[in-house]
Parts: sequence; structure tokens; C-alpha cells
Amino acid sequence: MKAYFHRTILCVLPLLLGVISTPSLAADAAGSVSVGDPYVRAVPPGQPNSAAFMTLRNGSTVPHSIISAKSSTAKIVELHTHVNEGGMMKMRQIKQIDVPAHGEATLQPGGLHVMLIGLKGELKPGDNVLITLLFEDGSKKVIEAPVRKMKMKMDMKKMH
Amino acid sequence: MNRFGWIVVVAAIGILMGWVVSQWMSGADRVSLSDTPRGGDFSLNAASGPFHLQGQRGKVVLIYFGYTFCPDVCPTNLALMAQALNALSEEELARVQGVFISVDPERDSLDRLAVYTKHFHSSIIGVTGEPDEVARIAAQYGAAYRKVEGESRGGYLVDHSSNTYVIAADGSLHAALPHATPARDILELTRGLLAQTQSQAIDLY
Repeated sequence: MKAYFHRTILCVLPLLLGVISTPSLAADAAGSVSVGDPYVRAVPPGQPNSAAFMTLRNGSTVPHSIISAKSSTAKIVELHTHVNEGGMMKMRQIKQIDVPAHGEATLQPGGLHVMLIGLKGELKPGDNVLITLLFEDGSKKVIEAPVRKMKMKMDMKKMH
Repeated sequence: MNRFGWIVVVAAIGILMGWVVSQWMSGADRVSLSDTPRGGDFSLNAASGPFHLQGQRGKVVLIYFGYTFCPDVCPTNLALMAQALNALSEEELARVQGVFISVDPERDSLDRLAVYTKHFHSSIIGVTGEPDEVARIAAQYGAAYRKVEGESRGGYLVDHSSNTYVIAADGSLHAALPHATPARDILELTRGLLAQTQSQAIDLY
């Protein structure tokens, strides 16, 4: 049984090493938090700002946080959220976005987002924006977020 | 009354006055949404020239107050408005007007507004005016906004209400739809009002 186990490990080990070829180790925040469906909203020409949205999943038993973000597409990148206070929409900068242990944080319209301020060029649908997420332990993750045009047409199937 | 009694009375008056003043101060700082918006006519400027709500009689008008610096809340609502407009037939669309009123005339030039609104739908016009005019119109509709300094390194932000105001063909304020009202609801309401004006028109002849 033991021998079999060791053989399995030996076979699987190269595969594991292949998977963990990213600069960060699984133990750090960047390695523990995966990013799902990132995108940046396409904005009207001349519009100076946009926002990036995504789902952050923490696969570890330790809570993690994003403490800042960077991108070469914008002069300033900040972490923001929206608060709806009795109908007043308030956008506020926040210090960090927490991703609970074995939990998720969803960055979506009307809520948490990575705000891109002072866009250096026009964002065209289909372009990819590179965003670096910086975690609380100093680890980093670079994500590629496609620029997505907002839906201007209704899904007619849902109308009936 | 003895001296102690007087001290108690004076202290009580002092506390009461302090409370009244603090209530008044916090009230002055608070932005509240008007309870009874009346709506009504207004005139503002668009890149294409003056815009008068009065000139839109016979049309259903959808009004949204916002600012182009707004990266998320305003685009969301304008995209929903655009979705509703795109679902209308050509005949219906000819009788509907979208209006985006910028509450940030300081940064939103008329040209910027024109480019911005066209991105969403050609039937949405971007208008603004002098800050006091915009403030008066916002109050008329129960829309509220406030400049917030020091929140972002990118400049000031604007806290704002996010209703879409639906104006019937007679110019009256028919409804205030809350933030992120689904396009389907905007469409149904618009179509309902269009049908109503159609039948009224028929009654006249």
C-alpha cells in the first residue's frame, strides 16, 4: 500500500509542479485566490474612467484581502464600492477587498469594483486590460480582463 | 427655588439647546430626497441647442440625472434605458425621448455630453445648465446630489439619487423608477403611456 502511494506521488509530482509554475506559491494569497470572469466595462469615447469587475474565490482556510491594484491603462487605480443609502448612490474608496476563507467576493456593477481613473487610451471591446492585484501578504496576481461593451439590447426571450 | 434647583434648570435648558442646535446642524448637512416631487417643465442646453421639456408634449420622456465621470451607476441606468428604447418599434421610438441631465456642469461640457449619450442611444439627449438651474430642476423632480471631495485621487465624486423619471405625454411626472429598474419594466411603462396617449388622441377626433 505504502509503495503504491509513493509511486502515485512520484507520478503525480511532475504534474503538480507543472500546475504550480506561476510565480506565486499556493500558500500565499495570490496563489489561494482565483479570479473568475474578469472584465472591464467599455466606455463612451472621451470618458475618462471605467471599472473592472470579477469574482474572487479564496480556496484556502485563511482569509485574504486585495489591498491595491495597478494597471498601465489608467493613471490612477483605486478600490471602490457603492453604497445605496435610501436611494442616494455613494461611491467610496475602500482600503481593501476581503475574500473570506473558502469564500467569495464579487465585484459587480453597483457594488465593489476596481476603478480605473484617467484612462490613457480608448477601451475597445475585445481589447484586454492587464490589472495587477496586490494582496495583503505582498503577493501579486496579474489578470487579463477583456473589455466588454454594455448590453444595449434586451433579451427578448425573457419578455414572455 | 434653591440654588441647586436653579443649577438643574439652567443645565437642562443648556442640554436642550445643545441638542436642538446639533439636530439643526446635522439636518443642514444632510441631503434628502424630496418626498413629493412635482416634476414640471424646464429648459436646459444640449450641444444641438436649447432643450425645452415643454417642446416634448405628445412624447413620453425618460429623464435621468447623473454625471459622465460616474463609472458605473449612470452607465448602468442609461444602458437599461437604451435597452428599453431599442425594444420599441420605429413608430413608438418617434414618440419617446430620453434625457440625461448632468448635475456636474463643471466637468461635463455639452460636447462631452453629446458623445456620452449617443454611445447609449441616439434618442437620449445630454443636457445641462448653470449649477443653480440644474439644482432647481433636480429639486423639482426630487433628485438629490452632492459633491464629495477627498474621496478619490481622481477628483471629486458625486453622491446622487439614481431614479429614472417617466414623464407622460402631457408633461406630468408619471413615475420615478428606482436605480437599476429592469429594462422590461421601463419598456412596459413607456408602452402603457404611449397606448394611453394614442387612445386619448383618438377620443379627440
